[in-house]
Amino acid sequence: MDTLNELLNGFAAALTWQNLLFAFLGCLLGTIIGVLPGVGPVAGVALLIPLTLNLDPAGSIIMLCAIFYGTQYGGTITSVLLNTPGEASSAITTIDGYAMTKLGRAGSALTIAAVGSFVGGTIATIGLVAAAKPLGELGLLVGPPEFFALMVVGISLLVALAGKSMVKALISGALGLLISMVGIDPVAGAPRFTFGMDRLLDGVSFVAVIVGVFGLSEILSHRKGADAPLVHAPGFRSLLPTGKEWRRSAPAMARGTGVGFGLGLVPGMTGSVSSLLSYVAEKKFSRHRHELGKGAVEGVAGPETANNAHANAALIPLFTLGIPASPTIAVLMGAFLQQGLTPGPSLFTEHSDIAWAIIASLFIGNVLLLLLNVPLVGLWTSILRVPAPILTALILLFMVIGAYTINFSVFDVFVMIGFGLLGLALRHLEIPLAPMVLTLVLGPLMERSLRESLEISQGDFSVFINRPISAVLIALGLLIICSPLLKLRKPKALTEDPEA
Amino acid sequence: MSRKKITTAIAAAALIALTGCGANASANSAASGDDFPKKGKSIDLIVAFSSGGAVDTAARLVQPVLEKELGTNVEVINKPGAGGQIGYTQLTSAKPDGYTIGATGSPSVVVSPLDPARGAKYTRASFQPLGRQVIDPAVIAVQPDSPYKTLKELLDAAKAQPKSLTASTTGLQTGEHFALAQIQETTGAEFAPVHFSEGASQATTAFLGKHVNVLVANVSDVTDLTKQNKARVLGIMTTERSPSLPDVPTFKESGYDVEAGTVRGYSAPAGLPDAVAKKLEAALQKAIEDPEVVKKMNALGLQTSYLSGKDYETFWAGQEEDFKKVLPLVQKK
Repeated sequence: MDTLNELLNGFAAALTWQNLLFAFLGCLLGTIIGVLPGVGPVAGVALLIPLTLNLDPAGSIIMLCAIFYGTQYGGTITSVLLNTPGEASSAITTIDGYAMTKLGRAGSALTIAAVGSFVGGTIATIGLVAAAKPLGELGLLVGPPEFFALMVVGISLLVALAGKSMVKALISGALGLLISMVGIDPVAGAPRFTFGMDRLLDGVSFVAVIVGVFGLSEILSHRKGADAPLVHAPGFRSLLPTGKEWRRSAPAMARGTGVGFGLGLVPGMTGSVSSLLSYVAEKKFSRHRHELGKGAVEGVAGPETANNAHANAALIPLFTLGIPASPTIAVLMGAFLQQGLTPGPSLFTEHSDIAWAIIASLFIGNVLLLLLNVPLVGLWTSILRVPAPILTALILLFMVIGAYTINFSVFDVFVMIGFGLLGLALRHLEIPLAPMVLTLVLGPLMERSLRESLEISQGDFSVFINRPISAVLIALGLLIICSPLLKLRKPKALTEDPEA
Repeated sequence: MSRKKITTAIAAAALIALTGCGANASANSAASGDDFPKKGKSIDLIVAFSSGGAVDTAARLVQPVLEKELGTNVEVINKPGAGGQIGYTQLTSAKPDGYTIGATGSPSVVVSPLDPARGAKYTRASFQPLGRQVIDPAVIAVQPDSPYKTLKELLDAAKAQPKSLTASTTGLQTGEHFALAQIQETTGAEFAPVHFSEGASQATTAFLGKHVNVLVANVSDVTDLTKQNKARVLGIMTTERSPSLPDVPTFKESGYDVEAGTVRGYSAPAGLPDAVAKKLEAALQKAIEDPEVVKKMNALGLQTSYLSGKDYETFWAGQEEDFKKVLPLVQKK
């Protein structure tokens, strides 16, 4: 009852015209980013953070969340129409989606994908509502040692799951921690690693780093692609799936929701794993499995539902525990911190109004996307007809303006460019970028909880083992890091995950 | 249709970008004073502690009145960390044009530049005090199920076994840390300080979760907790009992000569044009003495005690002398 009340209050806050506008703009921008093949969700969200910095906390987070799940919708469109995934998590949709396009069922495929995304996203958000209160109440049990242990688990999961080599993932993670140390010591107050530059006292600007490492380096490393072929948007009439298609999609959507929701809760899993595994599930369980690959509607419904259920479920560990489950969520968490909101148990005690407004806006956003997506398919596809050089130049312009507006200083622009080059180098060395963003965001929180823990125990490290919750978490973290020694094989899907 | 739509899409996107930037783009031009504040140009009010603490709450109460008085937006921005030093650094490195002001609390703001180990980039002269708002006395509290029923029992336990009890502060060399040092100096009771350098809300959360034994805080932090019976306040470090906590004995009554607390006000980076300073001071006085604000502050356990910018400055200088004497007690050895 309490939860319902707070949720309704959240709706009241989210339905003000300003917040609706932010949700709408977020969905719109998210979809555009999803459609553009060169810009992934991490870079996209990072790129758009500067736009939201001047908004109030609720509006800003509402807009960023909308951008985040908007990208998941947008990626589908190009997968279906062009056989080019806009996002990694929609890659698997190309198989049956494009086959359906060739069969003249493109409109139907897009509608099914949009409805599936809506179903998956909405159900996962209901899960968030249900989990918020009970997990939030555990908050007081989480003292500094437990908080530190929780961070250790989150980081080790991401390190273990990112890329092919754990050593490289660890290098990336350590780099993020180092960058997060720049600035004034959060406890003792002494400036660290600032090289005497006053501009660095407040640390390296998180937004500039993320825009550089993810956005700029992605643009720079993008191979010169041919202009997208001309596509014809399906007519409005063909957007309606047949009754048979609906009936076949329903079980696929149910399975997709299950897969996406479950995997979304696990830190380190990316949306592409969910959509991939959902496709595998269809291959195993669908009654029409022999048709998969030849334009079966299940091959669109399942994965598309899964990646949206995943995207929304991934917000659960962020809201309730303060653990970002994927690089995109880590960027989102950075935005929370910029707004003075610390995701985690205290979010619901200290800023419960904002937290519930954001959750309510997730429901609203899912509806908005459904309304935006299907009728506007024509508009989205026309974006692809902007010549690549112009598009790239526009995006670069956005990045520079974005970096400049953080503090209205050119310094941040250079930081952005510098980190763009660093990101490019890391990409060439095949060092995954995900652990770096994660530790960059978590670094200050980890440092603080570590030092508070040690003050509680007066310097005795056993504080992490003597307390049951933290002991279990630390053991879990160790197990994850040691898993390669135990020769536990990762599923192939993970090692080839382009987002990780 | 396509070309038109493309252009529209790009134009729309560009527009969004530019409006987003435009909001603050003019914030850099210097203010001469007479036209301060420019319409539509918002003022940042930096709070050097996390949201939910007393500094933040007071700033958010003052904010709407300030907006009305100045006729422009005032945004409260939390910049927590290092016991206030991060926010103070940001405040003093901002342009003295009136568009950046900040909440300043002592002892943190007074003491942080005194200890060379902290490497603070500011001194007292970097601030232009605009007005004092409150004096918030320090208190010491335990959990309701704690074996210590009186101040004497608690202090005796800490004397018998030094450092066996952990006590929260809001950061190294903050008011709570000084309070602990003064207790140790006068009574010999030694607690192990745990520094929650983000602010009072983190310290309180840790106390409620029983991760620390003793909560050292200000009257305003515990007023609500006492009502909900989540904390037992054992003593208040003033000469007189607080109207918000009439049942709590003072340290003096219990036989300990300890006085400590936090003083909070508002300041700007030094070098404001006179006209701007006058306008800000006047608006702040209106806001601090606003009957509604005072009433709400009282409800939070905060007694308003206004001083003008000039008097706040004199008071600040006096505090600096006082704290210089006790500083060695709280320096890292």
